[in-house]
Amino acid sequence: MTITLQVLVSGLAAGAVYGLFAAGYSLIYRLTGIVHFAFGDLVGLGVFATLLVLAGTTPVSQAGATEPRFVLALIVGLVLCVAAGTATYVGIVQPYLSRGSTIGWVAGTAAVAFAIRAVIGATFQRSSYVFPDPLPFHDIGHSGFVRIGGAQVQARAFFVIGLAVALALGSAWFLEHTRYGRALRAVADDAEGARFVGVPVELLVALAFGLVGALAMIAAIAAAPGEAVNANTGTLLGLKGLVAALAVRFGPPLWAFVAGLVLGVVEAAIANVHIGSWQLGPSYREVLPIAFVLLFISLWPSPEALEERE
Amino acid sequence: MSALPETAVELRRAAAEARAGWSRQGWLALAAVAVVALVPFLSLPGVRLDALANTLYLALAATALGLTVGSAGLPSLGTGAFMAIGAFTSALLVARSGWPVEPAALAGAAAALVAGLLSGGVVRLRRAFVAVSTWLLAWLVWLFLLAFPSVSGGSQGLILPQKTLLGLDATPTVHFEVALALLALTALAIAAARRGAPGLELSALRQAPALATSLGVGLASRRLAAFAATATLAGLAGALAVQLQAVADPNAYDPFLSFKLLVAVLLGGAAATLGPAAGIAVLGLISLVSGPFARLLHLPLERFDTAVAAILLVFVLALGGEGIVPWVLARLRRKERPKRLPAAPAAPAAPPPHEPVLRAAGLRKAFGGVVAVDGLALELARGETTALIGPNGSGKTTALRLISGASRPDSGVVELGGSDVTETSTAERVRLGIARTLQTTSAFTELTALENVLVGRGVRRPFAGLVRTAFATPRARREAEAAETAALQALAVVGLERAADTPVPELTSSQRRLVALAAALATEPDVLLVDELAAGAGADELDGLAAVVDRIRERGVALLVVEHNLRLVRRVADRVVVLAAGATVAEGSVAEVAASGVVQRAYLGTQRL
Repeated sequence: MTITLQVLVSGLAAGAVYGLFAAGYSLIYRLTGIVHFAFGDLVGLGVFATLLVLAGTTPVSQAGATEPRFVLALIVGLVLCVAAGTATYVGIVQPYLSRGSTIGWVAGTAAVAFAIRAVIGATFQRSSYVFPDPLPFHDIGHSGFVRIGGAQVQARAFFVIGLAVALALGSAWFLEHTRYGRALRAVADDAEGARFVGVPVELLVALAFGLVGALAMIAAIAAAPGEAVNANTGTLLGLKGLVAALAVRFGPPLWAFVAGLVLGVVEAAIANVHIGSWQLGPSYREVLPIAFVLLFISLWPSPEALEERE
Repeated sequence: MSALPETAVELRRAAAEARAGWSRQGWLALAAVAVVALVPFLSLPGVRLDALANTLYLALAATALGLTVGSAGLPSLGTGAFMAIGAFTSALLVARSGWPVEPAALAGAAAALVAGLLSGGVVRLRRAFVAVSTWLLAWLVWLFLLAFPSVSGGSQGLILPQKTLLGLDATPTVHFEVALALLALTALAIAAARRGAPGLELSALRQAPALATSLGVGLASRRLAAFAATATLAGLAGALAVQLQAVADPNAYDPFLSFKLLVAVLLGGAAATLGPAAGIAVLGLISLVSGPFARLLHLPLERFDTAVAAILLVFVLALGGEGIVPWVLARLRRKERPKRLPAAPAAPAAPPPHEPVLRAAGLRKAFGGVVAVDGLALELARGETTALIGPNGSGKTTALRLISGASRPDSGVVELGGSDVTETSTAERVRLGIARTLQTTSAFTELTALENVLVGRGVRRPFAGLVRTAFATPRARREAEAAETAALQALAVVGLERAADTPVPELTSSQRRLVALAAALATEPDVLLVDELAAGAGADELDGLAAVVDRIRERGVALLVVEHNLRLVRRVADRVVVLAAGATVAEGSVAEVAASGVVQRAYLGTQRL
């Protein structure tokens, strides 16, 4: 029971971040029909830009975790993340979409991913960094851990889960009930038709590319002080998001978010749960979900995922 | 007992053909390979042979990827995974079980083949999904190697003992020659496959999957063959390269390896067989030049290479580049159209009996609440043209789709020659003798007229698989000649015998429809379903179209034409079926139907004009 609660909370906290990435992938897929291979790394770029303003490139630091500086750093990171996301769409994705070249956007977005990772890796060359924490989670309970029914749970986990769920529900509400949200759904449904009735499709999609990055970045930063970060952090979070999005076959963003939550819990369970003396263990944590999703999509593809046939 | 002399005859024949087909380019290629083969013996200053041999193995994997990316058009981001599987299979067999290198390398290739077949289900998916799935595969294999040090040797990697290769000490020189020979053979085999039926059909599937599958091209089988061949060859390259490196290090197989191979293919040019190898050469040169720069800037070298390769690719793609090799070839080679004598249509067999060949009964298909076809019954006889007419939305095209197998009826049966084919797939029905032309896409625009028709011929070519074509077996070669003759005859039937080598973009839209008709004819159908042959045709073209339809009918084919152009219907139809709201409202000769007034009511409503 105690281990179950611990697995559930830590899994949900990790999954909440995966979920926002997954929702981003799925929204982008539904708007444009592309899979954004640079998504995780673009968010990583924002996270490290924030870290750079906060603490420079020193490996371990609580410096700069004062509120005004943190707000400044966060704004710099978010602006960079949105700008880079929008630029990726305008410069890399849109040209190939209009030419109908799948290989173009696949290779182009993957190229952006590797280029960003190279830049982050060249600037932050150590294998791990500690992200300073502006919020005083450290003072709650025993150095940030609270006991619930015998389980040791990170207090931050509740904050991350709450924030991510709020962001996910907020964006869902935005898509459902605002003018811009309706316009985006129109684009997802039929881009040509939306363009015909005067929706500024290119502008909206370019903004969406930037904004989904910002949402994922906020969640990633909320979770960042909990674990060491390095140049691969964004890439790996992106990978998990992609796995979750593929598990719902790029369905509605809210489903993708839920799939992310499930993925987080499944990973934590694979790593920690014993059934009797039998346990899969942490080695299987990364590989089993990917293998399962690959098998799933190749055996049970949705009709839209299948190549067009006569 | 006759097998031996037969083989000898075949070999002599093949040798004669090879001599006849040998050209200046052949000599040039052979000379180039020979010169490269001498490189290890020149003791050039500053050249590291092991690095060169390793590059050749990479070029082998990239050349194999050229088949999947260039011909099949599948954006595979997972080729490095197959190299890793080949590498670790052979490394484990050599290091732990003491196998010799050669069987271990073959086992590595076999393991990669199995992995390729297991993950090959993804080739049925749209390209975006192929890209994601192969990308995840690359991550899966790499994360697996990292997570299980017992398999991969952990951060040390697996240390491999020095072995022999082909009876010689496995020095970099030996590896270099082996890699070069494999690369040359692979390039030859892939070039042959691309020129032959597999390349043509993969290209057709890439351009217009719906049209290709309507001609009976097996989407899954053709693409799976290409994907699995790429996996096997990449596995072989990985298996041999790891023996050269003498250590199997998991970190050498991160997803970037897969990306690098794709970059090489696109940089060198996916459309050319030698493009990917050229791309690897370019990447190698870049890394030679960028090395000192990276040291100057105190940057980790791999990171720097990564960024340079990525940025280079973005530039090449942004310039709309087809890659280096196709760009060079386009400037060197002037396209010469082969000279051919126009074929005459093969004489039709003796006038066939007007026996019924296809029977449909009680066909019903609803989309949600809309009943598109409601209890349709049809009978088609050899040497007879039936016209299916009716206003827009009356269910004509849906009826064709039900008969051709493109969609399944909710109820009812389709019988061909007395046997029930209601549950068979489109491809199977094409093989059994039901062909159909499409209303929307008529021809593959990157192919010539003759190549379009050859795509249709595919279902009658049992020896045109990837392996037989790549090795150019005697039967495959004989069959290829026969297929070309048959395709030329099919073009002659529709009157386009002089346009055989004309690229589709130079044809008029009516001519494209005729090309599509010839492609359907090349499948040797008993029943031919024609959707809107006269759409967009001018009045002066109608006589020609009518003559074509009549010529096909005289060959004993049962024709069902869906047609809006009632003038053409009057010229060609032996029988007319009028559909309205998915049901037959009139049936009979042109005169009978015209006299009944049903057509007028169906098109114009009940109010008198």
